[in-house]
Amino acid sequence: MIRYYLLIMGIFLALGLIPKSHRLMNSLAAGNALLHLFLTCAALLILDLPARYGDYLYLDHLNLYVELITALGFSAAAFYAKGYTDSLMEAGDLDPKNLKTFYLAFNLLLITATVALFSDNLALFWIFVELTTVCAAMLVAILSARENIDAALKYAFIVSGSMLFAFLGLIFLFTLSELTLGEGTLSWTELAANASHFSPPLLLASFTFVFIGFGAKAGIAPFHTWLPDAYARAPSVSAILSGLMQNLGIYGIIRMYALLKESDAASQASLILIVAGVFSIALASFSMLQQRNLKKLIAFSSVEHMGLLLIGIGIGTPLALFWVLFYMLGHVLIKEILLFSAGILHRQYRSNMREDMKDVFKLQPRAAWVLILGSIAIVGMPPFPLFPAKFFILLESAAVSPYLTLALLLMLILASASFANFLLKAFSRVTPEEEKEEHGSKSRVSERTESEKFTEKIGYKKSILPAPYTVRKGMRIPAIFLLALALALGLYFPEPLRTLLDSIILELGYL
Amino acid sequence: MIDPFLLEGLIKILFVFVLISAALIISTRNLSSVLTTYTIQSFLLALVSFLLYLMDEKGQLLLLAGLTLASKVILIPYFISRIEEKIKIGRDLHFTYLEPTTSLLLSIGLILLSYVFLSRIFEDLSLSKLFFFGAVIGVSLTLMGMLVVFSRRKVITKVLGYLSMENGVLMFGLFVTEIPFIIEVLIIIDLVILVMLTTILAVGMDSSIEEYRQKFRKLQIWTGGRYL
Repeated sequence: MIRYYLLIMGIFLALGLIPKSHRLMNSLAAGNALLHLFLTCAALLILDLPARYGDYLYLDHLNLYVELITALGFSAAAFYAKGYTDSLMEAGDLDPKNLKTFYLAFNLLLITATVALFSDNLALFWIFVELTTVCAAMLVAILSARENIDAALKYAFIVSGSMLFAFLGLIFLFTLSELTLGEGTLSWTELAANASHFSPPLLLASFTFVFIGFGAKAGIAPFHTWLPDAYARAPSVSAILSGLMQNLGIYGIIRMYALLKESDAASQASLILIVAGVFSIALASFSMLQQRNLKKLIAFSSVEHMGLLLIGIGIGTPLALFWVLFYMLGHVLIKEILLFSAGILHRQYRSNMREDMKDVFKLQPRAAWVLILGSIAIVGMPPFPLFPAKFFILLESAAVSPYLTLALLLMLILASASFANFLLKAFSRVTPEEEKEEHGSKSRVSERTESEKFTEKIGYKKSILPAPYTVRKGMRIPAIFLLALALALGLYFPEPLRTLLDSIILELGYL
Repeated sequence: MIDPFLLEGLIKILFVFVLISAALIISTRNLSSVLTTYTIQSFLLALVSFLLYLMDEKGQLLLLAGLTLASKVILIPYFISRIEEKIKIGRDLHFTYLEPTTSLLLSIGLILLSYVFLSRIFEDLSLSKLFFFGAVIGVSLTLMGMLVVFSRRKVITKVLGYLSMENGVLMFGLFVTEIPFIIEVLIIIDLVILVMLTTILAVGMDSSIEEYRQKFRKLQIWTGGRYL
């Protein structure tokens, strides 16, 4: 089965090299993402899970769920990418020659992520996660400006350097299984079946190493430093995709934690996760407070959310894990909404900085509103899905220590305050002449005699006010769609999703 | 049949050379010498796995030695040396955070640290003395490579630091356990791709090639001049 998949995807990639028109390349990418989405849904509905095919292919509810999130994110990003890359090329930022590379990396990223998720073997998972880093770095570097290359290199070095430590951890794990079972293995299923017999200190050592690698992939502090740069420099689409790859890190950590949950090392591993989580949240929320760059603000908010996910995993109760899984979905939806509108604003102002944004409501009213709604959603306000997720994770954290809950709550408030601060300061900048101009035009109607003076003035002012960027067809649709989806998820918890999450928890051995 | 004690002695001597090569990568400023040192280090690694093959007679180790020789002694250094010719920078003079002397002192600390750490962890594992030292050297090599990645300014040197980290992981794997061969192959493929990507990007970062300058000038966001 994996061979068929790789064969089809190979043909597909070769096909992708042929077309010259952007529309065709884009529809191929969108088609690929939708195909993955469709196949994942079909597998969830039809197959009897967990299912194993051959030595390396393994399907269960967890990896299908993460794949579902990934494919959903990719589909939305593909629809957005068309208009966005068009305007990048128009502005001369993106070399049209690189467009093919962009879509190649786009498709390759989806394929490598899929293969990574569905491989039963930890080492294969590791290798394909490394390859996703390569593809994502290519996407970040696609503008071939010095700063982009710098960000891409930082991304590649920090993540793959840390992933090498994860490989040390895998070697530990392999040795452990060799010690207990007589023959070494790195298969999730076999490890999960035998993990309770492993020696706890070694298991903890291997967990720590693996955590460094996957944590860097997920953007956990102090390995998060690639994230703000990659988000801020990369085009929005690339930022979205590298953001989606953070879920792979979280996926690895969930699996690893499920492995040692039964052993004596569990409490220490929980401690590591919670400390790393608190550190991430603290660092992120304090960095967000005075952040003047919109995309960096979003990036640090990503670090904060990953920290909260870690705490949720570290708490280790089934309820916490349930909401962690739900959180992963909600976070991706809302993060994409934010980045979509940030991308539109970046096209408008050619800058992510707060002080460059003026007259937002006049120039890009819809993007501004979507950004506001997205910010409300990301800080976890009630009608949106992150509210129950945050609420229950915080509630569960009280079982560990009430002080933890209190500290988390304070830091989350700080993060919300930084979003409010940013939005208020960025969106309240209105060119003062603007009012006069309106006033002027009114007076022009009443007092024709002074019209000449005013037209002169108006002409001058109009050159100050930049022309609104025309948002291309299709760029708004994914944002609106995701917003609607997020709202729906916040108001109504679908029954199939609940059973899906329940079966994941059951399969991981939590109940 | 060669005397195993002789082989063990040889491997131990090679350990010392591996550590020296790691220290040289940290401190050398001349780019081509860093590359040569890396090549020698990979060659030492291939030699170690060959000697281990002579001890154990496991075909896998021989294959691994061949693979290391082909990829890390010939292919990757060749590729990097081509890039180095292209970017026309002979020396990497600037260090960030750490000067070579401090990083050398720090790396001695790291070696001790990994010794203490591993000796505590490997208490329940019955590894022979040689294999334990191999594991320690492997971990220290990884950490020393990390120091290189942190402290060097030029991307090419960072790539070499990363590669030397990878050598450390390979060394650790070699002495602690046998990873299935297919995975070794895949890792090397992964490594080659990564190195190609980063070095190609490095041309953009490190070079003073005219065409890249022009490319930067064309961009509107970073309104010209600041980075040139």
